[in-house]
Amino acid sequence: MKRNEFWKAYILLLIAQLIISNYFHFTPFVMLSILPVMILSVPIRVNRFSLLFLAFGSGLLVDWLSEGLLGLNALALVPVAYARDSVLRMVFGNELIARKEDFTVTSNGLASVTMAIVMVQTLFLIIYIWVDSAGSRTLLFNFGRFMASLVAGVLVSLLTLNVLATETRR
Amino acid sequence: MKRQLLLPRFLLLAVFLLLEAASLYLLNRNAELQRTWMAQGSHWFMEKVWGASQSVRNYYSLAEANRQLALENFALQEQLLRCQDQLRSQYAEDQKVDSLSGYGVIPAEVIKISRNKQHNYLILNRGFADGVQEKSGIITHNGVVGIVDAVSEHRAFAFSFQNSDISISVRLGKEGSNGLLVWDGIHDNGAILKEIPLQNHYQAGDTVFTSGHSLMFPPDIPLGVAGKAKVVNGATHEIEVTLFQDFSSVRFVTVIHNRDMEEIEGFEL
Repeated sequence: MKRNEFWKAYILLLIAQLIISNYFHFTPFVMLSILPVMILSVPIRVNRFSLLFLAFGSGLLVDWLSEGLLGLNALALVPVAYARDSVLRMVFGNELIARKEDFTVTSNGLASVTMAIVMVQTLFLIIYIWVDSAGSRTLLFNFGRFMASLVAGVLVSLLTLNVLATETRR
Repeated sequence: MKRQLLLPRFLLLAVFLLLEAASLYLLNRNAELQRTWMAQGSHWFMEKVWGASQSVRNYYSLAEANRQLALENFALQEQLLRCQDQLRSQYAEDQKVDSLSGYGVIPAEVIKISRNKQHNYLILNRGFADGVQEKSGIITHNGVVGIVDAVSEHRAFAFSFQNSDISISVRLGKEGSNGLLVWDGIHDNGAILKEIPLQNHYQAGDTVFTSGHSLMFPPDIPLGVAGKAKVVNGATHEIEVTLFQDFSSVRFVTVIHNRDMEEIEGFEL
């Protein structure tokens, strides 16, 4: 049941990401994405191969149904899925992976969770902004875009995590 | 156990790379800007990586290039000698005098050379099986290198010009006076031209050529440039000569043998 609830929330957030991608165009400096945190919070028991395909599929769906470039979100999100376990191990230690437990703000602390989100957001944004600009923007612009997107993305991701966290839904 | 762990990791990496490649392919097909950017990136990669590997390949093929150049150089020298020979024969015919010229040439590679002694030597990779004979001269396009002293089947031992026992008969300028050229014993490219009579005209900057009197070397091989002179015993000039030949980099040489040497030496007995 809990598992089904997670996937329902995941699909809802995917739709939310589509809406963000289609309508959130207030400034070129902010690229808001909750996809990295969605991949980060996929239950650890999910096979890593499946996680890679899930990231690829999610990224591709957002690219296809929004105004983005086909393949761009997928390109940036697949490395997040590939590095997900390493990030969790680095931030929360080996036990979390060994016990196949899912992380929460309550049990793991806001600081650690924020750190994990910052890491996956950074990885995602670096690839996304670099490929999106394709050498046509200055480094300063890209850096400004990265910083603004990172701050906005981390804040929105923390809120998103509440929707996905299994503990909250008990 | 480790192998069992490595296999899924490689598979995971392979799937990751496959998905990234698929994403790049989609981007390449659907976004003009990204396509151009990726094309630029791929050109840069090709230029840097394949360009660098080409440089490395070129560097390692230098030995072969040197060998080719040496063979080419040898062929040119042979051609030059043949031309000189023809000219001399023609001259002799005109003067109604028999020509005594005629040199055989053999390309060789220096396999060992000493440079830090007063009696330096070199060893060549050619011996009597290749046609090398004792008392043959060794030259390059820069001048005289030495004289073959002993020959085995596939090797030849030679005295380097940088040997205080070696002297070469030379001429100062095309029509100047004859003298003996010896190594100065100090410099890699330094020599002394001895026994130039005081009354003979001499100018600094004159080229020193082989005279052809020694029988080991044909005439008119340029050896170096004359420099300062001093008077010795009030009778002759001793002139400093800067050689064209750089002994530190000598590798490919030509062994040159006077075919008429035995006949001429027969007269001297």
